[in-house]
Amino acid sequence: MKRVALFLSLFLALVVPASARLNVVSLPGRDTVQLTIYNSVDLTLVKETRHLTFRKGLNKLEFSWANTLIDPTSVEFRPLTSADKIEVVDVSFPPRVANTLEWRIQSEIAGEVVVEIRYFTSGLKWSADYVVEASGDEKTAKLSGNVRVTNNSGEDYENAQIRLLVGTIKLVEEIAILAQQGRPGQPTAIPMSAPAPMLEARRSLGRAMAAGVALAEDRMEKAKEIVKEELSEYFLFTIEGRDTVPNGWSKRLPSFQAAGVPIESLYKFEKERFGVNVVRHYKFKNDTRSKLGEVPLPDGEVKAFRQAEKDGLLHFVGATRVKYIPVNEDIELVLGPDPEVLVRPVMTNWEKTDLRFNNDGRVIGSTLKETWEFTVQNSRAIDVTVDIRRNFAGDWSIETTAANDKMDNAKVKFLRTLKPREKQTFTYELIRRTGANATR
Amino acid sequence: MKFRQLAPVVAAVCLAAFSAEARVKLVALPDRARTVVSLAHPDFTLVEEERVIPLQKGVNQIDFAWRGVSIDPDTIQVRIIGNTNVAVLNTSFPPNENALVWSVNSPAAKEERFRISYLLQGLTREVVYKAVADPDERSLSLRSYLRLRNDSGEDLSDAEVGLGHGAAFKKSIAHEEVLEMQFAKNDAVPIRKLLTWDSKAQPWDPEYQKNVIGLPLVYVITNGAPQKLGAYTLAPGKARIFLKTKDQPAAAGEQVSDGVAFTGEDMLGLTPVDREARLNIGQSRDVKVTQRQTKNDRTNIRRDRNNQEVLWDTDEEFRLEIENFKKQPVDLVITQHIPGYWKMVQTSHPIVKKDAFTFEIPLVLVKETGGTNKTVVTFKLQRLNIEGNEPQNY
Repeated sequence: MKRVALFLSLFLALVVPASARLNVVSLPGRDTVQLTIYNSVDLTLVKETRHLTFRKGLNKLEFSWANTLIDPTSVEFRPLTSADKIEVVDVSFPPRVANTLEWRIQSEIAGEVVVEIRYFTSGLKWSADYVVEASGDEKTAKLSGNVRVTNNSGEDYENAQIRLLVGTIKLVEEIAILAQQGRPGQPTAIPMSAPAPMLEARRSLGRAMAAGVALAEDRMEKAKEIVKEELSEYFLFTIEGRDTVPNGWSKRLPSFQAAGVPIESLYKFEKERFGVNVVRHYKFKNDTRSKLGEVPLPDGEVKAFRQAEKDGLLHFVGATRVKYIPVNEDIELVLGPDPEVLVRPVMTNWEKTDLRFNNDGRVIGSTLKETWEFTVQNSRAIDVTVDIRRNFAGDWSIETTAANDKMDNAKVKFLRTLKPREKQTFTYELIRRTGANATR
Repeated sequence: MKFRQLAPVVAAVCLAAFSAEARVKLVALPDRARTVVSLAHPDFTLVEEERVIPLQKGVNQIDFAWRGVSIDPDTIQVRIIGNTNVAVLNTSFPPNENALVWSVNSPAAKEERFRISYLLQGLTREVVYKAVADPDERSLSLRSYLRLRNDSGEDLSDAEVGLGHGAAFKKSIAHEEVLEMQFAKNDAVPIRKLLTWDSKAQPWDPEYQKNVIGLPLVYVITNGAPQKLGAYTLAPGKARIFLKTKDQPAAAGEQVSDGVAFTGEDMLGLTPVDREARLNIGQSRDVKVTQRQTKNDRTNIRRDRNNQEVLWDTDEEFRLEIENFKKQPVDLVITQHIPGYWKMVQTSHPIVKKDAFTFEIPLVLVKETGGTNKTVVTFKLQRLNIEGNEPQNY
């Protein structure tokens, strides 16, 4: 549904009152459209070009966007040809008319001019999603990335170049709120919802447009490439060619695919974080060794599968969400508890010694010695790594022969690797000095 | 009633002209060539279905729609099976419809096999176990059944249903049908029968109880290879235990025949390989445990300036009298809970420390040891540096 309209009027200053709008001489369509869709905020920069025919002298150009989500404060006009002969005199938001503006444009020439119109709209969004297919032994995986563009902006953007911006930008005001105002500075008196649904009409149009997209894709033999480039603190993904995403529709395109990505089947146990569960992770790195590492991976949903025994069939492992992953950063997909790997901590002994008394004879300090035994059991048929973390507070120290990494003054990590069906135990003694015995 | 709710429709668009007047040249409703249901994940059902779809040369639109079927649309994936130069270009999602459209490019007019996968809700599974124990209760025959209930809205015909281990079943299950199938048969699985008595859960002196105190009866099963199990994780489910009996003849001249008696049931917890499952299937009333604390003296008392006790030790002694009225020996595990810092001084029987505040005394009770013939267990311990705020557990 096209709702953004541009009317070029002749401005006959000598014979008609200034307020009149008349002589619509053309309804020029878009020649090109470019959408730059942001994922951190509800914002899309629309850039369109149109061929307009100007008369020498003053021209009026009306731009309206009823039932869309365009920010009226963002609309800009710029001539791309004869730029030195075209000048915007002013822009008017007519009284009692919402979602319309008029540019008064002084032209030194008569003839065709290519112009660019830019504006912000809300209602378009994009998201990334990933599919991980781990091999049966969970040592490698095929990783596929997709991007999905959803258009609820009220406007059909046909044959648009679609660019997706990865990064976090700041907005002082939300575009959706500005769009509801209809005119700059207008209080949002009439709550304007998203564009009214026009189900049947839109659906049939959508189908037709989808078919139209198919026509545009007829010469394609493979999925579109997504060109990724770095841009300051952001990354810009440009989808090859042109696309149409009718209003109300969304479209998912393959973004990348990497096979043979080395992964680690990592399990984590940390009571304060996961409770009593041992939580399964797939760990890999966004680097070139992993056949990735060209660009960051935007945050998105991940579905993880594992290859079944034959025929390339799959088992579902879990779904999760990943944070934005910079290049060379580790990726840990949190795939939920797996009871097939067990970590069972048991305090096998507890002693209270070194009692300290004050002058009144009351107990003011003691030293507690706890002996802990950890059973780690792998009931799976593959190798696993188990990351066990223990958090301690106060004046504490541990004694153990088990390899460990004191991560900070309150956390110790024990990393164990287990063969299929292997069971291990390790112990540590935790000394906690309390009350007057504590030195820190 | 037959449902056909999942319907991929192939619409190959006319390639002749690049105009908006695209025409549908062909509409086909390809049947499923194969349906595979994976129940490997305990909470999710993954369906992979294969359909042979005729393609036109160029870009084809494949419409996949579902109505009244609980599919998670975000999980729908499509793959093309085999080496092919057919490519899925993109996926479009129309508004307000349970449908999507794949744009698929084919270099030639041909048929191609597509594998469409998705997570399906409403196909619930339940695992149930039935076991028949031998009369000596040292082994049992275990039968494992999968009970599938199809409320997904979709009929599944000749679906290969897999649990993530073992061979898949090829079954048809209609919408709203419940289907039960045996998926494992394990004979002569060794079990250990135990009675348990816990000092926190059971009264210490049965004489003061109105009713006879039953001791929990537990069958211990290990999911391991020596136990003729251990090939896969035992899924949680209800286990019904029967005991082999002899059925007496109903009429004169008939033979004694084999029969079974139901002896109880319990929920078997999820049991991975090489781990132990405990089925608490009932109670035994033929074993009586009486526990008494025979000494509890404070020693080494330390007092503050106001003569208040602030720290002390204790000497404690316990005595248990255990009677087995059965005609068979019995394995009994006594569990004791001692809070705080303590040391065992003397025991009549070996103990197994389970954690800092718990220990067990495993006993084998000789048959018919009631009355004066009872088993006596004693232990003495010292609790140290008591302030009255000792931890009971950790």
